[in-house]
Amino acid sequence: EQWRGWNIHVDGYPNTVAMEKFAELLAEKTGGEITLQMFHGGTLGSQPDAIEQVRLGGLEIGNFNLGPIGPIAAEANVVSLPFIFKDVPHMFRVLEGEGGQKISDGMAAKGLTPLAWYDAGARSFYNGAKPIEAPADVAGMKVRVMNNDLYSGMISELGGNPSPMAFAEVYQSLKTGVVDGAENNWPSYESTGHFEVAGYYSLSQHLIIPECLCINTDVYNALSDDMKAAVKEAAVESAELQHQLWAEREAASREKVEAAGVKTNEIADKTPFQEAMVPVYEAYLAANPDLRPLVELIQATE
Amino acid sequence: MGLLVLLGLFALCVVVGVPVAFALGISALAAFWFEGLPLMIGFQRIISGINVFALMAIPFFIFAGELMFHGGIAQRLVRFASAAVGAVRGGLGIVNVLSSMLFGGISGSAIADISALGSIMIPVMKEKGYDTDYAVNVTVTSSLAGIIIPPSHNMIIYAIAAGGGISISKLFLAGVVPGVLMCLCLALAAYVVAVRRGYKGEPFPGWRALAFSFLDAIPGLMTAVIIVGGVLSGVFTVTESGAFGAIYAFVVTLLFYRNLTWMKFRTAVSSAVKTTAMVMILIACAGAFAYMLTFYRVPNLTVEFLTGLTENRILILLMINLALLLLGMIMDMAALILICTPIFLPVATSLGIDPMQFGMILLVNLGLGLCTPPVGTCLFAGCAVGRLPMEKAVRTIWPFYLAILVALMLITFVPAISMTLPGLI
Amino acid sequence: MTNSDLSRDPPAFLVWMDAFLDGLANICRLVTGVSLVVLTVIFGWLVFGRYVLNATPTWVEQVALLLVMVIAFLGAAVGVHDHTHISVAVLRTAVSAKVRLVLVIVSDVLMVGFGALMIRYGAELTLFKWDSQIPLIQMPEGLRSLPLTICGGLIVLFSLGHIVRLLFGNDMRTDSIQ
Ligand code: NA
Ligand code: NA
Repeated sequence: EQWRGWNIHVDGYPNTVAMEKFAELLAEKTGGEITLQMFHGGTLGSQPDAIEQVRLGGLEIGNFNLGPIGPIAAEANVVSLPFIFKDVPHMFRVLEGEGGQKISDGMAAKGLTPLAWYDAGARSFYNGAKPIEAPADVAGMKVRVMNNDLYSGMISELGGNPSPMAFAEVYQSLKTGVVDGAENNWPSYESTGHFEVAGYYSLSQHLIIPECLCINTDVYNALSDDMKAAVKEAAVESAELQHQLWAEREAASREKVEAAGVKTNEIADKTPFQEAMVPVYEAYLAANPDLRPLVELIQATE
Repeated sequence: MGLLVLLGLFALCVVVGVPVAFALGISALAAFWFEGLPLMIGFQRIISGINVFALMAIPFFIFAGELMFHGGIAQRLVRFASAAVGAVRGGLGIVNVLSSMLFGGISGSAIADISALGSIMIPVMKEKGYDTDYAVNVTVTSSLAGIIIPPSHNMIIYAIAAGGGISISKLFLAGVVPGVLMCLCLALAAYVVAVRRGYKGEPFPGWRALAFSFLDAIPGLMTAVIIVGGVLSGVFTVTESGAFGAIYAFVVTLLFYRNLTWMKFRTAVSSAVKTTAMVMILIACAGAFAYMLTFYRVPNLTVEFLTGLTENRILILLMINLALLLLGMIMDMAALILICTPIFLPVATSLGIDPMQFGMILLVNLGLGLCTPPVGTCLFAGCAVGRLPMEKAVRTIWPFYLAILVALMLITFVPAISMTLPGLI
Repeated sequence: MTNSDLSRDPPAFLVWMDAFLDGLANICRLVTGVSLVVLTVIFGWLVFGRYVLNATPTWVEQVALLLVMVIAFLGAAVGVHDHTHISVAVLRTAVSAKVRLVLVIVSDVLMVGFGALMIRYGAELTLFKWDSQIPLIQMPEGLRSLPLTICGGLIVLFSLGHIVRLLFGNDMRTDSIQ
């Protein structure tokens, strides 16, 4: 059986290498019964489109960020709450426990079964004017955000002006000042060239959104138990490789942009940022009362 | 086999006379069905083909152009342009190329260039006695300036596809000379074709008339100033500038020139909608078609086949150009950049080609593909704006292709054209 | 755009059919025209909000994408009605009147078929996505495929109209049977 897989990243990126590894392990562990043909670089469509294609069965496999899964599976949207995870290791502890199971179940019910979790690091603010150390530094700033009410709510609560904008326009907009800043992880900040036009990177780490290696639920459920185990094993092993490559890539990207003159700053005390998020959480939980237990579970996870 | 269904049915539909957009859609859907893929995904691809924010520039610039035409701005611009360059044979053809060079430098998008300049220049050139095919051909081919001359979204896509090792600022600089060179070649072609067709120059009307026509055209010229100035100063993005062009054209023609009646406004809106829809439905259905080409790995197979033929450096470079050209003829740009870069770039660098120079080769090739049948967004847009059957445009476009090919060969074999400027910083 | 008065007196039901289809096309023209104007105005509002109010209206981008769907698909349907789409007429103009009749009918039948598929799968897509929300505007994601679905219906009607007109000798395509 020949499966097809989607991945947005280009050649050489940690996720691309890990997905290729997954394809290799899949063939190996299933004795060649299942092979996977990967389409990298998002050439089969945008991320929301590819999510839909996996759900509809046009593709079997995809490496997705949980952000765009939020509008489809409500449980997955919880990870888009700003500052919900203390740091990346905390996120993985949650995902490997009961919290991860709840998110998994919610996604599987919508046709996407997660096989393993990939690392996408933490997203931080960057801009061309000044280091951000307190919420007051964000005030009045036009910040490009991805399309999600939680992200735009976050910037509003910090006093900034959230400006949703197509990704392709961000570089030029940062350069000319249509927007003052944006936010992303180290590797994206570097590979998009945004560091050339926005030279202050402030480690707010406000969003830690994991990625998943997902399979179409029906395809997965139709497998024998042995096959399921083989597929899962291949996914988990590819995730281990991805985590390691991701850490290396993060360090390399950071080194590269700092060598290019980017000013990085740690934020010693993130409490003022977190406190500013209270209205975001309240509005979210008022609109999604069912998710309160999951949010509390994550917050209670050590 | 499935690929045969896709291409065969497409050719068949086109020959029978099914509109090209629907020929693309029908053949793509047939291939979806043949492969047992859910047909819903076929229609998802059609929708996603135009669910792209950057394409918003098309309706705006076309609308602005129509308002300028029906509201009298365009005619004043023409009066000024023909007073200034009318004495030169094919003067308006050359003006068309040069304005693309300037405008493309700001918009960064070939399709925005055609929408904006084509909507103004083509009617005006027709009025001045140029053949429609000439006007369309010049507009279509010179729009490539938008891709090569910075800023350019497609260069950013290329830089990302290349793995992030390229500075985008330097890459932008690398595009300046190749872009200008290409425009000069096109201007020369425009001149030669004009002479061969016997377009007569008009006698120079004198400095007084020139000055008067300039003053009269100032509010119209301000459109360009607003768009360019607004983008460069960071007041708005290119897409937003299109909307402002339309709003400004509306205000000027209504209040200043007092030319815009309710009937003219309605005409402008309805022809803008018509042209927009024609272009958009083509892009939409081409999206489904490209999905199946990617599915069948056509780009990868083409590349493997052509580069496997030879080991000679010059021949390999020519083969790369040929492969890119062929692929560009049937697929749109962004997807091809993402697919072809990882395959070709290592080959090119092993031959000593700098990634920035290779970017220029890639973009010019794929850009030329936008101007060719059977799938060429720029050609579609130019024909839609000029209301010209595609086969009529294609019959006489050769000299302009040739001009771009000359520029392409120079860019391929003379590294200094791309590398000098970025080397200075 | 009624050209039905080109040839001999058409039967009454043809007149009625043309009036109905022209009416549909006019509704589409109105809707797409208003969409274009609204699209332009909300972008003005977007920039005004960002600069003057320092509060970017975050809904503009998503609403704009929906309006473009309306313009593209309803406009494309009108294009089918008016025969304004880019097509290659080389073969049609080179062959005899009989062969040309066959080509034109085949082309119309293909369009009816494609339109029918647009209705069916467009509707399925719309229902499939009705539960997901478009971020920032909280409207059903299914709205995005609704214009395509409606376009399918219109294409079926307009193309059937062409066939009927053709069979009664009232075709209005300049390059088809005289
Ligand atoms: Na440009
Ligand atoms: Na031009």
